[in-house]
Amino acid sequence: MHNIVSAGENSILIYFGDKIDAALPEKIGNFSNQLKSALSDVVIDTIPSYTSLHISYDLNKISFQVFFDKVENLLSQQDSADISVETQTTHIPVYYGVEVGLDLERLLAEKNLDLEAFIDIHTSQSYLIYAIGFSPVFAYLGEIDECIQAARLATPRIKIPAGSVGIAESQTAIYPSDSSGGWNIVGRTLLDLSLNNPKNIDKFRVGDKVKFYSITRDEYLKNGGEL
Amino acid sequence: MSFKVIKSSFLSTMQDYGRLTHGEHGMSQSGVMDEHAYAWANHLLNNHFNDAVVEITFGGLQLEVQADTFIAVTGADLDFKINNKTAQMWRGLQVHKGDVLSWGNPKSGVRAYFAVKGGLTTKVLFDSRSVNLREHIGAKLTEGDELPCKGFGEATYRFISPKYIPNYNQDITLRLLPTYQFNEFSVNQRDLFFNQNYTITNANDRTGCRLSGAPIAIKKERMISEGISYGCVEIATDGLPIILLKDTPSIGGYPKIGTVFSLDLAKLAQRQPNTKLRFELMSIHEAQKERKKFNDFFEISF
Repeated sequence: MHNIVSAGENSILIYFGDKIDAALPEKIGNFSNQLKSALSDVVIDTIPSYTSLHISYDLNKISFQVFFDKVENLLSQQDSADISVETQTTHIPVYYGVEVGLDLERLLAEKNLDLEAFIDIHTSQSYLIYAIGFSPVFAYLGEIDECIQAARLATPRIKIPAGSVGIAESQTAIYPSDSSGGWNIVGRTLLDLSLNNPKNIDKFRVGDKVKFYSITRDEYLKNGGEL
Repeated sequence: MSFKVIKSSFLSTMQDYGRLTHGEHGMSQSGVMDEHAYAWANHLLNNHFNDAVVEITFGGLQLEVQADTFIAVTGADLDFKINNKTAQMWRGLQVHKGDVLSWGNPKSGVRAYFAVKGGLTTKVLFDSRSVNLREHIGAKLTEGDELPCKGFGEATYRFISPKYIPNYNQDITLRLLPTYQFNEFSVNQRDLFFNQNYTITNANDRTGCRLSGAPIAIKKERMISEGISYGCVEIATDGLPIILLKDTPSIGGYPKIGTVFSLDLAKLAQRQPNTKLRFELMSIHEAQKERKKFNDFFEISF
């Protein structure tokens, strides 16, 4: 069942499971909402991630033990009080080309795939958002087909351009802004996911879905894409 | 009312108490690195606890006063001067239009805090004025920037008795709460962790502080990423600790042996590389009691 541990002087961590499971993100997201409404006077923030929920609370108002008990109590009621939030799917246009997909050529050779087959696999399914983190608007999406899974780079790149789409093990993600990072880059989107547009902070939510679709080099360039 | 940046420096940024409610959006906590010096700076001016200040790392900054007001400078001794004359820290001071405030080389500590009566009123980004360079939220101060502030009300000449001004040159012991994967480290490995002197390395910034010392063994090197608390101590693949600080990513996947008490992290924020450091255990009850006392004194409440 659930396991709660202390995470600091004003925070706890609840584990909802011990391995990655597509059923967990929605469950964790629901509980996070339930907790924020039930204990709104003491909960400061929540961070959902894969199998766990991190919660910080106001130690001026409530002690560790009392907070812990309240959370346990809520958890025991949770299964009967599931509030399902409608999930959304965001569609992301991607140019899969070797000029912007910095690791694409190598991956195709390693995986013995041609570009078309690779694109088909990466765009074939809707991916679940398991976590948001690393940087704002960075959504961890999974799980990708085994045929295109690849280990992180041994030496991370200093600069990956905003919009780059990457792969690391069973996950895929979009870099919302210029960043360092070690994921295998396979393409780029023109969609602005950076915080230059402040509305983007809510672009992705844990439990929602993301689906990629392929655009041509011409479409990419016509819409302002850089090579 | 404003201050003008006439000389920029290695790293001076606007900070406040932090961006505390955007963890689910993947944002770092951000905010001042030394909560103790910051709280005093605002307290000396009778400001709100969350008023924004400039965090000056290693000096080099020069500001010109555009209108008379009151200020306070706390934290590291970075050779603070007004019009080229050494000026007092840890007290409310009046400054006048045209005065030049400058910070030079560090004499002790790492980060100084410059607070203004009523707070600096730079742009609020995602519910905080804290700049986070890694997240591209805001920018460091550059020459020509104007730092707006409110007009001042009553005069403020509060000061701190010298005996309460911390000495930033001492080695430190950080009190650690047993959190996260504490129980997954063997008793022997925990003993090794608590019974050695670590050294602060040069890999030490707003994101984290890497320590050198004897490595401890870990059962699993990586785990499923989970939410990160300010001050948690990650054991990297090489067996050495990294203390995760204000600009650390919101989630991470290395095992963590515990979480350092926040007011000890304030002391860490002022330690230069090569300082010796030890850990000792602290209970959550003790930590909450001590932090609550601090919050009550400085009127920190949400």
